[in-house]
Amino acid sequence: MVSTIRPSRGYRVFQGVNGVILTLVVLITLYPFVNIVARSFSGEKEIRAGDVTLWPKGFNLTTYEIVFSDSMFWRNYGNTVLYTVVATAVAMVLTTCYAYVLSKHHLKGRGALVGIAVFTMFFTGGLIPNYVLITSLGLKNSVWAIALPNAISVFNLLVMKAFFESLPSELEEAAQIDGLSTYGILLRIVLPLSKAVVATMVLFYSVSFWNSWFSAFLYMDRTELMPVTVYLRNLLAGATGGTAAGAGTENLSQVNANIQAVTIVLTSLPILCVYPFVQRYFVSGVMLGAVKG
Amino acid sequence: MQNNGQLSRRQILAAAGFLGLATLTGCGSGGDGEDTKDLSKKRDGAMKNYRAGQQFKATEPLTFTVLHNDNPVYPSKKSWLFWKELTRRTGVTLDATPVPLSDYEKKRSLLIGAGDAPLLIPKTYPGAETAFVSSGAILPVSEYTDLMPNFQEKVKRWNLQPEVDSLRQSDGRSYLLPGLHEKVRQQYSLSFRTDILTKHGLALPTTWDEVYTTLKALREEYPDRYPLTDRWSTNTPFPAGALFQYLGQAHGVRAGWSYLNTTWDATAEKFVFTGATDAFRQVVEYLRKLVAEKLMDPESFTQTDEEAVKKLLGEKSFAISANAQELVQNYRYNLQRQVKGATIEMIPVPLGPAGPVVMGGGRLENGMMISSKALERDDFVALMQFVDWLWYSDAGQEFCKWGVENTTFTRSGAGYRLKPGISLMGSDPGAPKDLQKDFGFFNGVFTYGGSWALVSSSFSPDEKKFTDVMAARKELPVDPPHPLRAEEQEQATLWDTPLKDHVTQNALRFVLGKRPLSEWDDYVKELKAKNMDRYIELHNQAYERFQKENA
Amino acid sequence: MSSSTTSAPPPGTQEPPPAPPPRRRTRSPSPTGWRRALRKDWQLYSLAVLPLLFFLVFRYLPMLGNVIAFRRFEPGGSVFGEYWVGLRYVEMFLSDPTFWQVFRNTLWIGGLTLVFCFPVPIVLALLLNEVRRRSLKRFVQSVSYLPHFLSIVIVAGITMQMLATDGPINHVLGWFGHDPVRFIQEPEWFRTIYVGSEIWQTAGWGTILYLAALTTIDEDLYEAARIDGANRWRQIWHVTLPGIRPTMITLLILNIGTFLAVGFEKVLLLYNPLTYPTADVISTYLYRTGVESNSFSYAAAIGLFEAVIGLVLITSANQLSRRTVGTSLW
Repeated sequence: MVSTIRPSRGYRVFQGVNGVILTLVVLITLYPFVNIVARSFSGEKEIRAGDVTLWPKGFNLTTYEIVFSDSMFWRNYGNTVLYTVVATAVAMVLTTCYAYVLSKHHLKGRGALVGIAVFTMFFTGGLIPNYVLITSLGLKNSVWAIALPNAISVFNLLVMKAFFESLPSELEEAAQIDGLSTYGILLRIVLPLSKAVVATMVLFYSVSFWNSWFSAFLYMDRTELMPVTVYLRNLLAGATGGTAAGAGTENLSQVNANIQAVTIVLTSLPILCVYPFVQRYFVSGVMLGAVKG
Repeated sequence: MQNNGQLSRRQILAAAGFLGLATLTGCGSGGDGEDTKDLSKKRDGAMKNYRAGQQFKATEPLTFTVLHNDNPVYPSKKSWLFWKELTRRTGVTLDATPVPLSDYEKKRSLLIGAGDAPLLIPKTYPGAETAFVSSGAILPVSEYTDLMPNFQEKVKRWNLQPEVDSLRQSDGRSYLLPGLHEKVRQQYSLSFRTDILTKHGLALPTTWDEVYTTLKALREEYPDRYPLTDRWSTNTPFPAGALFQYLGQAHGVRAGWSYLNTTWDATAEKFVFTGATDAFRQVVEYLRKLVAEKLMDPESFTQTDEEAVKKLLGEKSFAISANAQELVQNYRYNLQRQVKGATIEMIPVPLGPAGPVVMGGGRLENGMMISSKALERDDFVALMQFVDWLWYSDAGQEFCKWGVENTTFTRSGAGYRLKPGISLMGSDPGAPKDLQKDFGFFNGVFTYGGSWALVSSSFSPDEKKFTDVMAARKELPVDPPHPLRAEEQEQATLWDTPLKDHVTQNALRFVLGKRPLSEWDDYVKELKAKNMDRYIELHNQAYERFQKENA
Repeated sequence: MSSSTTSAPPPGTQEPPPAPPPRRRTRSPSPTGWRRALRKDWQLYSLAVLPLLFFLVFRYLPMLGNVIAFRRFEPGGSVFGEYWVGLRYVEMFLSDPTFWQVFRNTLWIGGLTLVFCFPVPIVLALLLNEVRRRSLKRFVQSVSYLPHFLSIVIVAGITMQMLATDGPINHVLGWFGHDPVRFIQEPEWFRTIYVGSEIWQTAGWGTILYLAALTTIDEDLYEAARIDGANRWRQIWHVTLPGIRPTMITLLILNIGTFLAVGFEKVLLLYNPLTYPTADVISTYLYRTGVESNSFSYAAAIGLFEAVIGLVLITSANQLSRRTVGTSLW
């Protein structure tokens, strides 16, 4: 962004203040995370003494080794990846289609369609009816038990709809004159212009599915089908009870000291890597400018 | 991936079908119209003359479903010797549905609520089965204990009838098969840094008064620290749950984790409200004194366990609540690494006004519910005999705990010794195999109660010393049954929680000095305003009604 | 806007053409608005079929189970309960004074969260937008949403550590000569603690949506404003803010509608009997009563109560927004 006017002094002061504020933000959000990562690599003695701050002290990989050596951990991790990918794909298809439909104000019955969605934000079925439903549909112990029941988040739906509504209608009208079908318009015109919001939704959905453990816990009956979040949650529960998986006494308290930290690092690291990829799509509205001309 | 159109139509049909089915089966399950006592057609696989002490072997191969609480320490494996050997000895194959330990109760409640539960539902604590009684989803086991000779024999031998009776519901029957213990097993007490005590010429206290003087002396030596900082205050409605429990026990009242709103007053022969009793007041006063004189860390009631242990390890405190496992595996182990020469010991619960007693009812452990679907099966009798053998016979319990003689253990005198190469809870760190992880024995799902000989066979020396003293104390009598009817239960639940909340909240406020003890009577008045009297009345009526109907 | 099908008038004819015959007389009266709509927009409707199916099967079908709020439900019996009891459970919670207390707490905590957590991501996004260097901007943004990934157990643990008597906050108090305060034990402090940790955990994540919205603002508008002589402040006021207004309104309405859904797990981890008077919310109260697992009917009745409130709130917020600002959710 090239500025042709020299920024005022007031603005430069603001820039300075902004810098301070943002630095503060970075500190208070980054520090706990760095601390946790450090702890995951630290020795128990140092952890218990409260010596670990930014760097690992008493560096060791014991807890990591113990967790990694359990084949169930890897299997569950693979499940998480599978579930997340499938569920996000299903969610994106359904949400995008419906959001697009809802953004067409001329459509007859649109209000009802919106109402149908919004109503479900507040009224839900409760544990038992959902469980009975999933079971009678034969979806138990399959990836669909995770992907289908939560396919559309009305929150995401409405946000996407708002984005679609903000796109200038001339684009679509022009495409229509050119003979494109609705499907074509959606695929070739609207979606490429909505990269920012699509990327955002992919991020939101994948994070939410990645972190979810409850659906799997409800609908899976076999440990080898669980996602890694259930595995780690169970591990934590066992650890706080005084013992942890795979640890003999000599490793016991080491594991206890930083099993929580290791859990966090292992579950959040991969999904953290998704964001930089998504950020690429947050380009400024150059596209829109091009259309105007 | 299937064609979306077809899948959705099938979904619709299935959904409609389930709807129709659900409305048809509107009535609860539970075979009315069928004589539930006639078991002649349900003897598939059962032994004709099954007696106590006898090995159960089904006359034909059977399979039963069981809910399995998956402990992350020893995740369930199909290859366990436990399953194989069990089938070999009894002819029964167990089909286990694993549920993560972290949320066991929730899933159990969901499965039963949705009618999808397995036949056998273990790891159920006494009281938890009450919710499922009125629906008929679980079996009224008391009607069928005549099929369980080992169970009956143990109840008789160890005088557990009053305890078992306390589990009866308002229809006079009980719905839970509890774990049975020969002797009470007190688990929690206070622990002290014995090296510090010796250094200052202090002896280990044996009464609560001595605890007070010892803490005071410690404070004089270290005026900048709180000698006692406690734990077990988070994730529970009863902060400092362990401390209140064993302190309350010394006063003859159930407090902390064991808190119940009703207390049986044996002299007056009626129930009274625990939070308003004199004994409870004394407990509160005692702790208030400790906090006021800076002998106990006020943060004890809200801090995390981690914080509390950190203070102990950092030598900011010298006493903390403990159980045998934490003592050995956490405190002692870590103290030795952080502080040279540190020693820590758990003392028998200090004595108080009530003398050397333990609270009644402590000999029942978590037990098993059986789905009422079991009654509809032709192998029902065999199922009961199987349960009886595995969970209540000496041979069965020994098998669950120690495994197969000469494969996993050998006898040494009256005790047991693991075979070399097998470790249990870290007993032999170098061993290649673990009794729980690799063989599936000593599994909390199957190893319940049992004779003292069996239970104590796995104690560490500390635990042995501690439990020997505790087991010698007198056990207070159990509450007589006072079960509520379903609608009464709903009302009682709504009064129960606000009352409990008010008690815990004000106990803490009194202890921390936020509320002067002079306001105790006001506090009781507030309890009355929260329906305390009506609540107690409800239970007394239930008690009298039960007496009348079941005299 | 279909293309014209009338042919050009025959050359040479100058008089006004006769009244053209009605374009396409619809075959029957009123309900064919639908038929025409279906015919014209069938592609759009087809896109909505699968999602509608989703709603029907996975949302509305289980909703029927809520009928147990008015029937007696026995765990293990029929999913739809045993027999009608009318408004029994509704009366039960309406007449329970503890319920009203926790309801009030829920309103307070939910309201405060809404008021304080809503503006922060906006401000943060705007601040980030003013950063010149792209790499720096990305760095700060990526770091700021890290807390979102921490599980609530961790966040609660961190909060408790911060507030401990020998924790950082009390250290700072010590510099000013103040005695340490045991924040976790004081009911007056709970709301501040809760809202504070909410802001910390969600602010960064909330900026993502706004930053995405900021990218859709037309660059030309900034250029035009600059040419008109607007400095940065006025640019922000006249271009940036209006540009993200639809997003703000959408999120505001959504948040208003769901403000009763106070985080159960976080309250559970941060509260204790001393702070019940301000900290106890509906979900934690139900949890403590064990009602969740034992009396599904009671929980269902309360759930319906909260749902009705939420629905009323969101519809009113939507109407209000449409009348005052012009944008609305639907």
